[in-house]
Amino acid sequence: MTPKDIDWTRLSAIIDKHKAERWSLIPLLQEIQEAFGFIPPESIEIIADALKIFPVEIQGVITFYAGFSLLPKGKYVLKVCRGTACHVKGGRSILRLIKTQLGLEEGETGKDYQFTLETTACLGACALAPTMMVNRTYFGKLSPPKVTAVLAHHSKDKE
Amino acid sequence: MENITLFINGKSVSCPRGSSLLEAAELNGIKIPRLCYHSELKPLGACRLCLVEDEKTGRILASCVMPAAPNMAILTDTPRINRHRRNIVRLMMAEHPESCIVCNKGNRCQLRQIAAQLGLGQTGLYPMPNYKPLEQANPFIIRDLSKCVLCGKCIRADHELVLAGAIDYNFRGFKSRPLTLHDLPLEQSNCTFCGTCVSICPTGALAPKNTAHAGTPEREAPSVCGFCGVGCSLSMGVIGEQVVEINPSDSKDSVNGATLCVRGHFAHDFLNAGQRLTQPMIRREDKLMQASWDEALDHAATRLMEIKKTFGPQSIGFLGSSKCSNEENYLFQKIARTVFETNNVDNGGYLSGRSGLGPIDSKTGGGWRVSPLANLEKAESIIVIGADPGHTTPVVDYYIRRAAKKGVPLIIVDPRKTDLTPFSTVWLRIQPERDVKLINCLAALLWKRFGHDSIFIDRFTEGFASYSEGLSSFNRERLCVEAGVDMSALERTTDLLKGKRIAFVVGHGILQQRNAVRAMEAIFNLMLMTGSLGSDAGGLYALARENNQAGAWDMGSAPDVLPGRQHLDDSRQRQRFERAWNTRLSPDQGLNTIRMIMEAEKGNLKALYIMGENPLRSLPQHERVLKALENLELLVVQDILETETSTMADVVLPGAGFCEKSGSYTNMEGRIQCVDPVVSPPLGARADWEILNILSERLGLPSRYNTIGKIRAEIVQHVPGYAGLDHGKNTVWISNNSQRRLFNREGQGEPIAFSPVVFAEDSPQNEDYPFTAIVGSKRYHLGSGTRTSHSRRIRNLGKNGHAEISPADGLELNLADGDKVRIHSQCGSIVREIMLEKGLEKGLVYLPAGFNGNDVMKLIPLTPFEDRHSTGLKTCRIRLEKLQSVT
Repeated sequence: MTPKDIDWTRLSAIIDKHKAERWSLIPLLQEIQEAFGFIPPESIEIIADALKIFPVEIQGVITFYAGFSLLPKGKYVLKVCRGTACHVKGGRSILRLIKTQLGLEEGETGKDYQFTLETTACLGACALAPTMMVNRTYFGKLSPPKVTAVLAHHSKDKE
Repeated sequence: MENITLFINGKSVSCPRGSSLLEAAELNGIKIPRLCYHSELKPLGACRLCLVEDEKTGRILASCVMPAAPNMAILTDTPRINRHRRNIVRLMMAEHPESCIVCNKGNRCQLRQIAAQLGLGQTGLYPMPNYKPLEQANPFIIRDLSKCVLCGKCIRADHELVLAGAIDYNFRGFKSRPLTLHDLPLEQSNCTFCGTCVSICPTGALAPKNTAHAGTPEREAPSVCGFCGVGCSLSMGVIGEQVVEINPSDSKDSVNGATLCVRGHFAHDFLNAGQRLTQPMIRREDKLMQASWDEALDHAATRLMEIKKTFGPQSIGFLGSSKCSNEENYLFQKIARTVFETNNVDNGGYLSGRSGLGPIDSKTGGGWRVSPLANLEKAESIIVIGADPGHTTPVVDYYIRRAAKKGVPLIIVDPRKTDLTPFSTVWLRIQPERDVKLINCLAALLWKRFGHDSIFIDRFTEGFASYSEGLSSFNRERLCVEAGVDMSALERTTDLLKGKRIAFVVGHGILQQRNAVRAMEAIFNLMLMTGSLGSDAGGLYALARENNQAGAWDMGSAPDVLPGRQHLDDSRQRQRFERAWNTRLSPDQGLNTIRMIMEAEKGNLKALYIMGENPLRSLPQHERVLKALENLELLVVQDILETETSTMADVVLPGAGFCEKSGSYTNMEGRIQCVDPVVSPPLGARADWEILNILSERLGLPSRYNTIGKIRAEIVQHVPGYAGLDHGKNTVWISNNSQRRLFNREGQGEPIAFSPVVFAEDSPQNEDYPFTAIVGSKRYHLGSGTRTSHSRRIRNLGKNGHAEISPADGLELNLADGDKVRIHSQCGSIVREIMLEKGLEKGLVYLPAGFNGNDVMKLIPLTPFEDRHSTGLKTCRIRLEKLQSVT
């Protein structure tokens, strides 16, 4: 998903679905995040209008939660674990390897919007250390060959 | 409210149930340190400095958010708590830049004060200042977020008090900061520069810009704002004899609380403008030359008396000011009426639509006058009609926003999308000046659906039968279409209003339009029908443009009324004043502002004494006004600034600004506020009442007012409603002397009459001038902008006023943002830049007034308001001509 093609019809359908609910802001934002991979900054004022709250309050909520992003993300979001167990099991080298292979630093998204690289404090799967997630899928007991295989599997060429 | 008892530091104290521990302590004189608490904001518990210890359980509690409970025992000052407090402050200091020496907050910085109280010098921590770029592009506010302690007061002031929605907490942890939408600079955000956040900020993170002085003012003194009719209480920071800073005063019962607006907060720097008049001047050989006070006053007095003798009393006009105090206006009209035996006395309030309110005043015997704005938040429903209070009277706007947020139904009647429409329940998008039709339709619909208050109607009114007959005599659907409003929207409004009392907020869209009187009568009928008058749940709030518009009228500074708004044709009142003043009073109305100019144009008016008005800027058709003033044998101008008008005068008398003299001012609510001078007038200038006093002596007026108290005593004696003024209190309310049953405690007196249902003609279409221009205000200028254009900050904002048109018209005429157009009306033309504005409908052009020497007035014909052929001052027909840009 590139930022250019925001489907405004879909966006307003999501807003319409939630606007009558109580405490609807977070579910609404979650659905937009899910559908678009990010929350288009241009949509903030439209949401504010529908929910009758200040646009800046919505921005406050979006920037507070790590789960929301105002920048478009890649098709695959990698979350590399930096927890203690993963660290002991060589998580740092895994992260370094991924950085080199993707050419991305933490928090960055590739120009082709294929990958976004993020790190996280702990994925809660310490028995499988070192671990990472690609979107909602866990990959455990990572080794350099396995990392290369996972990245290759999700790369654009493969599709 | 029920009180509870608890123990603080071993002492038994009591407080109302529902108070927080901090409030309970405060109430009993025990001070608890805090940074994020403010009495007008909901407590947040962010700074954790107000920690106290529960004596029984040892628990540590944040006292600002912990409700006090009976028999609680708390300690506010134990070593344990102080250790916590010290650590919190140390961490804040470690994150704070060490720029105290250049910080505007100076010794008023609360972080610094608390650190001092806790005995903190060096923190002993590694400094980790969180540097952020300094924002100071706008001329009002400097934002230095590296000094932010995240107390959230600015955010809460924004969301709870002024409801602008400009900032909120963004991000979290170390990155957390109050930011605007998309982190844009303030001038590109929703910020209105009301400055409420600046005054409330405990540190130097938010500071006023362009002050002549940085740091703590030498002293602070209370005053009342000199701009709009709300009359906000101010605290003025002074160095020497210069006002360097303005904040809202912390008095508990002020109209504005902790809020102000951009003018009140930042535009008072006009007081220090280089164009202040500081020397009396006399025109000699066509040049204004400096003169002594004696020379100038002698010259003025002699010439005025000569002209009276030669041409008679009707040849002299007195134009007073709705910006001058009650005392000054009283004296001014007294001089006119007694020495010169003329009723040719008026003030700028005429231009702000006094004529529309006159009939309401007569009908109610003045009973509608006292309408505290605080009641707006208790209203059952609110209709804002022809008003954009966010720009004209921002504090009223805050009240309405807060009411709407609480769930009070808000109906907006306006052709334009205003700042308030996003808060509305229904927006009736009416065609300009069709208000009479719409209001009558709404009344008819309410009557049909039994939305009237029959008990109120029976008890307090008369003439309902013929009124209701009038309501069923017209075709609602057709009128509704003509008014430009959807019938379904009107039906929805009726459903919302049924059985509710209504608070009407009436602005200049009504008061300055051609049908002002009829529109006001229609509104008033609707008020009577719904029982909205004389109740806290409803009421009439007529926006006043200037600080003493109501008071100047009360003082009789008008051609048709004596002090107390007593009509000249009431012989009993006339005789009363004849006895009091030992004079003869003519029962004939004098000339109003516009008629004075028109008579001068014809050569009938020979002399004009102007106090604090600038007709060459505020009146329509400047070139006609100029010729009229040139026609005069004598023009005396008493003012504080060098204005378009003062440069033409034969005698110039330098007066004093509102905070440089004593006086009382009556605001739009009916609140009379007395102020003492905060600073002295610039050397050479004098308080206006002193000038008038010396002049009256030279003119042979027997009584001598060497103190303001003497004038005040006479007002108390002669002006009904002002009896409370001599009790030595700073704030009193107009007392209600209405003889109408509704306002009488014993239920005695006359009923109030309904007006018949009448309609007004629509303004004729004119093919040559296809657009309707609406003239309105922007918050940066007050009225015609004489004073605000002398504010350095407002000038630095660099706004010139646009011509706002709808995008549809822009497309049709091939006009884009920034294109220059010449705007033609039947009487003149001006040049403006185009701004496309989505909130406007096709065919409408919005022209903000006050900019470029108030050029919009060149488009409007100079005709008296009450004239049937008048266009009013609100709209005119125009056409647009695109100018080729010179590149």
